[in-house]
Amino acid sequence: MAKKQLENAVNEFNQVMKPVSLWADAWKRLRKNKMALISLVIVSIYVVISLFAPLLTSTGILIDYRKQVITNASLPPSFKPAGELVVKKIENRIVDLEKRVEEQQQQQSAFSSFFDFGSLDTQEESSEPSDGYTESQEGGFSFTYEGEGFSGNTTDPVVRELISQKETLERVKAELDTNPDYKIVYILGTDNLGRDMFARIIYGGRISIAIGIVGTLTAALVGILVGAISGYVGGWLDNFLMRFVDIMYGLPYMLIVIIIMAMIGEKARGSFVVLFVAIALVSWLTIARVVRGQIISLKNSEFVEAARSMGASTQRIIFRHLLPNTLGVIIVFSTLMMPSFIMNESFLSFLGLGVSAPDASWGTLVSEGVRAMESYAWQLLGPGIAMTIFLFCMNFLGDGLRDALDPQSKNRT
Amino acid sequence: MPRYFIRRVLSIIPTLFIVITLSFFLIRLAPGGPFAREREVPEAILQNLMKRYHMDEPLIKQYLRYMGDIIRWDFGPSYRYRDLTVNEIIDEGLPISMSLGVISLVLATVGGIAVGIISALKQNRWQDYVVTSIAVIGISVPLFVMGPVLQLVFGMRLKILPIGQWISTHGIKAVILPAITLSFPYFAYIARLSRASILEVLRSDYIRTARAKGLKESVVVWKHVLKGALLPVVTYLGPAFSGIVVGSIVVESVFLVPGIGRPFVQSALNRDYTLIMAEVVVYSIILIIANLVVDILYGFLDPRISYK
Repeated sequence: MAKKQLENAVNEFNQVMKPVSLWADAWKRLRKNKMALISLVIVSIYVVISLFAPLLTSTGILIDYRKQVITNASLPPSFKPAGELVVKKIENRIVDLEKRVEEQQQQQSAFSSFFDFGSLDTQEESSEPSDGYTESQEGGFSFTYEGEGFSGNTTDPVVRELISQKETLERVKAELDTNPDYKIVYILGTDNLGRDMFARIIYGGRISIAIGIVGTLTAALVGILVGAISGYVGGWLDNFLMRFVDIMYGLPYMLIVIIIMAMIGEKARGSFVVLFVAIALVSWLTIARVVRGQIISLKNSEFVEAARSMGASTQRIIFRHLLPNTLGVIIVFSTLMMPSFIMNESFLSFLGLGVSAPDASWGTLVSEGVRAMESYAWQLLGPGIAMTIFLFCMNFLGDGLRDALDPQSKNRT
Repeated sequence: MPRYFIRRVLSIIPTLFIVITLSFFLIRLAPGGPFAREREVPEAILQNLMKRYHMDEPLIKQYLRYMGDIIRWDFGPSYRYRDLTVNEIIDEGLPISMSLGVISLVLATVGGIAVGIISALKQNRWQDYVVTSIAVIGISVPLFVMGPVLQLVFGMRLKILPIGQWISTHGIKAVILPAITLSFPYFAYIARLSRASILEVLRSDYIRTARAKGLKESVVVWKHVLKGALLPVVTYLGPAFSGIVVGSIVVESVFLVPGIGRPFVQSALNRDYTLIMAEVVVYSIILIIANLVVDILYGFLDPRISYK
């Protein structure tokens, strides 16, 4: 689209422009930048996966991100089927509990032997007062009790859990081949409700990236419009618009977004349209300023004068001659704006003011992961790393595009 | 210059006025008041509550009353924390938030410039690559990922630093993780910025002249290069400080720092009108003053800038 516009614009003046346009030139420069290219590939992979996520789910490649399998809760990342991990998890828990029972026993026997020496009583009599403890003691020594007739009258919670865990283990082992839930492979583990982390990260990314793209487009559109009009028309309108932008710039906009999000309430917050509108409303300012600057520097150039002398309308000059020439800057700014959009959205979601359940953005996933990170670190690291890689690549791509499209500003940050 | 200064200081007033007015009406116009909760309050009690907080008056009267109170720096009672006035909450949290913010800003600036210098002087050597990669990572890792990961590694696994709260409970050690988290993105950006501008200055004519005069390399770097190269860093301090102020809301929530960040989030979720308004006013004043200071500082450092 953009390319065609540019060629049209040029052809009108009968200027012979070789096919090596700004874009071909920029592409050549971008290709030399290895990191930017790798970033471009990774970003494309993210976008494609996000686009086709529903398809992947419906074909069964991806597990439904809403599917909760309570038995498979909080499993670590692995290529093994869930059943094995569940068995291992329960076995670990049992070993843990047995250790605790043993400890209790040692304390208990130390106590009772002390008691024996003190009262000079016999072993049999000392065991009488609390039968719960002595029985658990016996159970602990041999570990042959399978719970029958013994779980009923024990009061010790540890022993009780040990018994129930052993029962669960038996049940899981029996179902291992029949229950389809135990055959699922969770490569990035599961969350505390037994949902697949991998699917959740992809769907979270879908929302985050969508907000990033839509927000950037909205902000860019408003910014371009205001900037172009302000720059081209000039005079009092320019003055007015730029004062307005200045005042808006002075506002602590993240605070205002937080207020907006808090005030519209839980229900409306669910639709993330509100969220991107809230962020976009306040982030068109930079683009407006940049576009205005570009337009002002271009509007007195020869080709604009030529167009005007041929009777082109203001609208035509702005949209066909001036804007295509500022497109490079706009693209660079938009690319660099997108990661900050995604970060802001996740920032709000992290605080509980963004996307709300059942939808989840990367920010929501991270904040859920934080709550569980002590025991289940992967619930934090999975979405955290996925998000960081994407932001990292967007930043690199933006830098690469700037170097490619605007070689004069090379080496600037 | 004095005229510019006065104009800039006076320009705080309209900006603050807009922020306060905007927030006031945004909050009041939203459906559901601060007393709308899951359990319905009896009508009579609601009436009394409304009266107590002057919410039964027409909006414009409430607004004028509020403006009058703010000028006297009286934020009124909190709607949710019944025993505290908003002023008490702010007075208690503000010094803590301010010290966290200032420590982070100093860390980011000093660290960033130092690392930027090293990186620029060792261009295209391993030091440079390490710095530039750390810088890009720093810009890409969100605060709320960085903070919990640091807590996990240093607090929970290695157990060498406290994972939360503040000096009063854990001593000076408690500052380390929040300050690193909060300053890291700005540290990274400042490192990148100073590296780029030092490289640019190193290529300029006056540096060539200085070297041609036979000045020692250390003199060239410290007296000539730095002076010219730090201007972009100074310009960035304004945005960096705003970023740190906003970021501190998240960092305080993550590390349970008893500053004004957590009450802000809580008040936003609870619709604690008076507390939100007070937080917005305080944050806005901090941000506006910070920008003003940077603007004026910039004028002193760069004689090419003329004030009109």
